[in-house]
Amino acid sequence: MIKLYQFIIFFISPFYIFSQGFQVNLQGQKQQGMGGAGTAYMQDASSLFFNPGGASFVHGNSVNAGVTPTIARGAFLDESTQTVSRTNSPVSTPFAAYGLFEVKDSSKLKIGLAIYTPFGSTVQWEENWTGRFALTRLELRAIFFQPTISYRITDKIGIGAGFVYANGRVNLQKDIPLVDGNGTYGHAELAGKANGYGFNAGIYFKPIEKLSIGLTYRSKVEMKVNEGDATFNVPASASANFPSGKFTSKLPLPNVTTLGLAYKINSKLDVALDINYVGWKAYDTLSFDYENNTTSLIDTKSARRYKNTFAFRGGAQYKITHLFAARLGLAYGITPVQNGYVTPETPDANRINYTAGLGYELGKHLKIDVSFLFTHLKRKDTNIETNLSGTFKTNVCAPGISIGYKF
Amino acid sequence: MNLYKLSIITIITTTLVGCNPKFDVPDPGKGNIDASQYVALGSSMTAGYADGGLYFGAQQNSYANLLAEQLKLIGGSEFKIPYVSQNSIGIGNTNNAPSVLGNRTDCQGTVSLGPVKLAIQGDASVFSSNVYSSQGPFNNMGVPDVKVTDVDLNGYTNPFYSRMASNGTSSILSDAIAKNPTFFTVALGLNDVLNYALKGATSESITPLSGPVGVGFESSIHNVIDKLTANGAKGVIANIPSIKSMAYFNTIMWNSLKLDTASVTNLNTFYTALNAPFSFVEGNNGFVIEDQSIPFISRRLAVDGEFILLNVPLDSIKCHKWGSLIPIPDRYVLTLSEINTIETAINNYNVILKNIANSKGLALVDMNAFFTKIKTGFTYNGVAVNAAFVSGGAYSLDGLNLTARGNALLANEFIKAINNTYGSSIPEINATKYPGVIFP
Repeated sequence: MIKLYQFIIFFISPFYIFSQGFQVNLQGQKQQGMGGAGTAYMQDASSLFFNPGGASFVHGNSVNAGVTPTIARGAFLDESTQTVSRTNSPVSTPFAAYGLFEVKDSSKLKIGLAIYTPFGSTVQWEENWTGRFALTRLELRAIFFQPTISYRITDKIGIGAGFVYANGRVNLQKDIPLVDGNGTYGHAELAGKANGYGFNAGIYFKPIEKLSIGLTYRSKVEMKVNEGDATFNVPASASANFPSGKFTSKLPLPNVTTLGLAYKINSKLDVALDINYVGWKAYDTLSFDYENNTTSLIDTKSARRYKNTFAFRGGAQYKITHLFAARLGLAYGITPVQNGYVTPETPDANRINYTAGLGYELGKHLKIDVSFLFTHLKRKDTNIETNLSGTFKTNVCAPGISIGYKF
Repeated sequence: MNLYKLSIITIITTTLVGCNPKFDVPDPGKGNIDASQYVALGSSMTAGYADGGLYFGAQQNSYANLLAEQLKLIGGSEFKIPYVSQNSIGIGNTNNAPSVLGNRTDCQGTVSLGPVKLAIQGDASVFSSNVYSSQGPFNNMGVPDVKVTDVDLNGYTNPFYSRMASNGTSSILSDAIAKNPTFFTVALGLNDVLNYALKGATSESITPLSGPVGVGFESSIHNVIDKLTANGAKGVIANIPSIKSMAYFNTIMWNSLKLDTASVTNLNTFYTALNAPFSFVEGNNGFVIEDQSIPFISRRLAVDGEFILLNVPLDSIKCHKWGSLIPIPDRYVLTLSEINTIETAINNYNVILKNIANSKGLALVDMNAFFTKIKTGFTYNGVAVNAAFVSGGAYSLDGLNLTARGNALLANEFIKAINNTYGSSIPEINATKYPGVIFP
């Protein structure tokens, strides 16, 4: 007759990472050294990612593998309490591996396989931090497998396309503001495997020897979590309100349209520029659909309202000797996250990436490239859903290395 | 270690250190207040009364003590509290024991989570000994049940005061003044209406606005503030929350009489025979409440906006026809006109409190707005806070006083008011560190 004790406790839900929303632009060391530009600048097998249309212009067969240990250090200042909380996220290791092969000698057709991690990393906030009921940890992994065909139509124009299969997993954790007699708070963990499909297509055009132009479209990949496990640890008397069980969710990884230019200033100096248009508008809502609903555990729809956004990436490569190259670059990314929607998973802001790199050819076949990226983010906001209010700062330091082999 | 390894380690270390974001956090500023001797005056909430009783844990988490902790950042000294022994279960104002959340079985054999008293009676030893000589003199002069008119009453006989009084003829105010406060908070006046409301407006009375000190609200509160500020002390006055916002009056809804077809038929037959001017429908109905102004049957249906008090015996409703065949007694009900009388008094008190704060240049905490905000519900750093009993996180198990989390949020309201008025920059409290109702 009388519902005295209804447990209506919002279960607020998020997702995330660093680098313009949760996009990670670390797919090639040469490009990284040049601010991330490479859509019109064909260097090696990593062109499979940067422009499948231009891959057919890369000479011979080549394989290339690299890794970029990424150190992202986040901190949050709650101005009202004048306290700082920090992340102690593990180093994430975005990697990329490419194999690009001629179908037969000097044919116009090339095939290749690209394996890379364009999204993801781990955010781990310190114990008992101010925003613990919004997020304590988010781990997001997505590996893309992209078999690709590239065809050189003429010596001036090439096209290419790859099918993308994405496989990943997500693990999201937060505390629940229910306390037992020992002072232990409830905790929620949502973990699941996700997968999705998409494609990557591009055109490469080289009207004159010194100038090349690239246009690519990497499609949206909708990562679906179908049989995720939701685990709730709450005080025993509230456990019926938080039944562990399955959940479904999905996370859109946005499409990216890129226009690239590259220009050979002289035999030693090349410059490149990429303009990305990222379809972040796809990330409008983050929903969690729980198999077992109760009055406390209701399906959630959290507004994210990302907006489409641009990024500009430019850089230069200077050949100090014919074996040794130095690179410098700069990128400016506009955040897709609107005011009121900044979360501890995505403490995103407009950003400037500073990059540098070196390349060295060890003989005819082998090449080593290294790069370094630094970014500083600062964003002050009050989230409309959690009312978490303060200033997020994130520094990203990402040194990377790759080895390439041509034959 | 070779050079190669050393350089790798150097690079990694530099990267890690250089990669840490830095913040310049300003030091707390005292503005133009002297927080060295802070004294709190008030009633149950100030004293740290919660879950239906005064006990050690709740005393620690009173907003007054939490505020004192923050004042220590700008030069505040020890905040002495007349603690109940840590081993004691504590005691409430009807000599009852405080409650905890637990399983209880109702008359229908249904087990559900609700407040369960820790013992049949509270710990009477709390009242039997005076702790002034061992623990005093006190900074927290909050005394449960105190009215504005009682504060300067010499030899005031409230047992919560007797246990902490400096002597048999002192008053709460004289003890507070003896502490030479440089800074004070005053949260008085709620009990001047609440005691009446808690009796369903059947006994006790509302303190009148006028009259001499000890009788009228206005002169009594002026007396308190005049004496506290006589030596130039600064402070904060809190206004009084509307009872409409409190869990105690909003948990059992006026229309929670849920009826099936058979019950509707039975009740309609019964009341038709009595010529009652009301009838019942399937689903939710207003409870039948006692109303002596209705001829012959002395009862009517509750209407929207009327309150059934939280202390109504639920078993009587569930199993003994209270609220349907038997009217809920008047002492468990506040009618529209009674609520109106109470709210009018609160509004009048609040005008007086605001005028005093303005004329004395003191900070004013809009406690009324804060409690209304809880009633509406809000999210604090990802934590939903509302006035729902047990689950809302703000109200303790007595439905009137706050949980630790609620107290921390209230202390922040005081801090904001102080900072605004006195140009200080006292940091607020991270209220997520304080629990709501403890779940077994």
